[in-house]
Amino acid sequence: MKNNNQRGGPLQGVRVIELTKVWAGPYTGKLLAFLGAEVIRVESEKSLDITRCYGVSDINNAPGFKAVNPEKLSVQIDMKSDKGIDLILDLIKESDILIENLRPGAVKRLGLDYETVKSVKPDIIYTSMGMYGNDGPLSYQTGYAPCFAALSGISSLVGYEGLPPAGMNVRYADSTFGTAAAFATVVALNHHRQCGKGQFIDVSAVESMTSMIGDSLMDFALNGNIQTCQGNRSIDMAPHGVYPCQNDEWICIAINSEETWKELTLQMNQPQLSTDNRFSDFTKRKHNEDSLDELISSWSNSHDAATLVEQLQTVGIAANKSMSSVDLVADHHLWTREFYREVKESNGSTSTIVGPGWKMARGAKIDHGAPRLGEHNAYVFGDILGLSEEKQQQLADHGITK
Amino acid sequence: MSALSGVKVLELAESVSGEYCGKLLTDFGAQVIKLEKPGKGSPTRYLGPFSNDIRDEENSGLFAYLNTDKYSVELDLDCAESQPTFLSLLAQVDVVIDDHNASFLASLGLNRSCAEKQHPNLIICSITNYGLEPPADRKHSEDINVFHNSGWGYHTPSGADPAFAPLNGAGRFLPSYEAGLEAALCISSALYEKADSGLGNFIEISKQEVLASRIDYVLAQMISGDMNVGTDRTAFDLGGPAGIFPCEDGYVYIWLSTVSHWEGLRQLLDNPEWMANFPNNWLEKECTPERVSLCRQQITEWLTTQNKHTASEQAQKLGVTLVAVNNAQDLIRSPQYQHRQFFVELNHPHMGKSVYPGVPYLLSKTPARPRTPAPLLGQHNTELLTEKLSNALEVTE
Repeated sequence: MKNNNQRGGPLQGVRVIELTKVWAGPYTGKLLAFLGAEVIRVESEKSLDITRCYGVSDINNAPGFKAVNPEKLSVQIDMKSDKGIDLILDLIKESDILIENLRPGAVKRLGLDYETVKSVKPDIIYTSMGMYGNDGPLSYQTGYAPCFAALSGISSLVGYEGLPPAGMNVRYADSTFGTAAAFATVVALNHHRQCGKGQFIDVSAVESMTSMIGDSLMDFALNGNIQTCQGNRSIDMAPHGVYPCQNDEWICIAINSEETWKELTLQMNQPQLSTDNRFSDFTKRKHNEDSLDELISSWSNSHDAATLVEQLQTVGIAANKSMSSVDLVADHHLWTREFYREVKESNGSTSTIVGPGWKMARGAKIDHGAPRLGEHNAYVFGDILGLSEEKQQQLADHGITK
Repeated sequence: MSALSGVKVLELAESVSGEYCGKLLTDFGAQVIKLEKPGKGSPTRYLGPFSNDIRDEENSGLFAYLNTDKYSVELDLDCAESQPTFLSLLAQVDVVIDDHNASFLASLGLNRSCAEKQHPNLIICSITNYGLEPPADRKHSEDINVFHNSGWGYHTPSGADPAFAPLNGAGRFLPSYEAGLEAALCISSALYEKADSGLGNFIEISKQEVLASRIDYVLAQMISGDMNVGTDRTAFDLGGPAGIFPCEDGYVYIWLSTVSHWEGLRQLLDNPEWMANFPNNWLEKECTPERVSLCRQQITEWLTTQNKHTASEQAQKLGVTLVAVNNAQDLIRSPQYQHRQFFVELNHPHMGKSVYPGVPYLLSKTPARPRTPAPLLGQHNTELLTEKLSNALEVTE
């Protein structure tokens, strides 16, 4: 199999075809690309991903698309024509993995469902991503990220104590779903290496979310206890919360031992609290948590968040600022670790992207931005599929590679 | 047999992130040997929920969930006499999972520079809150700290009221589960390469970076100057009338962003009068705060007499993305979860029969699932220490 991808990393030599939209599917592809795989996004002018168009006129310079598609290749193939589908099948023959997160039933209508793909490429690893998975009584239902979170049990646990659920930020879910799909896909690659066989992988977004609260479900399974919103509190620690500081900033404090509790009362200049009958051990603090939180809030309120964090960390207390987007973008640690990193764009300029959550001794190079639409047509049609320039021109003339 | 059968893992981890990572690998058939402190065991054995409120090391539902199919071996890593045993175990495994810190790894000769020389074939994965070299103001942290240090806390919930504190995510350990999943992805990738090259790898997972990378769609636009940054609590939000609404028997979530959603809603509500004053494309083009507020108010009124599951069924058939806000009980009863066999029943010697959350991916050839309950403390001491070691010693002699 011809592959000009030499960025190193554990998945170097693996080729992935992406038939994906928006965020979750592209995120799976991004993770595989960051691990060294050659990831080719099949796109077409006729069915452009919304992230290529959202809020911009230049489809090759769309910030949302660039955010989730670095280190990928782009090829233009019209999925609404039979010739286009044949071309995609030819490309799949030269690949190891197919990732799709199109609407329920879409791949079947296109003629790119697992059975069809398997008939031309028997050992394909075919990863299908859906809100509720590939089949079952509710699989016809559709939704966006916050729907996954709501259905999964996640949203019911996020909110202020005693108030209705408020749910996670609306952006949560797609990327976690994408990671679960990437993990299952790579596990299947291991199986393929052992025995040469591919398989069908059916990933459920809702179940991926449920996996982030497994222990809460155990509480119901073992004790019949339906957990509800806890605000910033925890059954394991008290204090465990987010408290106001000067200038509308907030400090997060978690007290994980009797020693650090004693230390906190010293820092508050209220050492008597550590022997106060309401707060002298964990059970009592948990029982009197409202008054405990009020005391801490009225103390933290007059302090500068960053200074207080430094002071508390010095004496061993788990404390930090709740980071706004300014804090996050300015975070020295994330820059030092090259989590934020510069990449080359195809027009020669540079831009900054968000790196992966890992560092790896022998990882893949990540130094290219997202592709222009069809930037790799010549490589895919010429080098991978071996089509003559004449044949490529014909396809272009017929609008198949638009 | 599953995709990772034959893979051997040594788990030094003692908290949720590393233990969850190990669990994800055992679900696919890897053999995970968990080292535990003699007589005491993993700290997660002492965290709830406890079965029947019995607070001892064999009744933690958390430990039971995180450690299905693992082997428990008691070994005191602080004791010099344990060293030969430890080295012998190390020589037998492909992967080491840790979630302590840099000095812990160094004390075992498993820091990167040592490991590359001494154990070139070993995949070592470290999971920490901020990487192996945290800055001075992040030496001490729990999951909630990392959540609030990743941007997620400050921007949760969507449409936050600035008078209320930034909010923690779902459950106690979301950052740990996210990091454990990332670690499992990296380890399985490294295993794929090792099968060919024979080489190990050193993987370092930072929970902060995992969480921040999960918001890449927004954060990358901010870091490249394409989206405004500021101290606004709604900086990650999308606006519009979408959100959680109360209904007769709980809550539903409704997403509305297109003309077709609006048309579906009109049918669902039987073309009510108030909708006549809204332009058809208002969700896309003319989404004013007044309209959002009126729309939310009317939907709330309609929902007071609606059941969450029947309302979502009707709505979905009309193309309206309305779903139930489910809780644990809803999930165990969900026909979809039952169809996919998400929950798995296991019989634990102390806690008895119970269902456990399974996996979100169905693989046609190499299915994954928990199969045997978590080990009792030291359950495999004899099998893995006494027998293996005497065999190893015989070989040496």
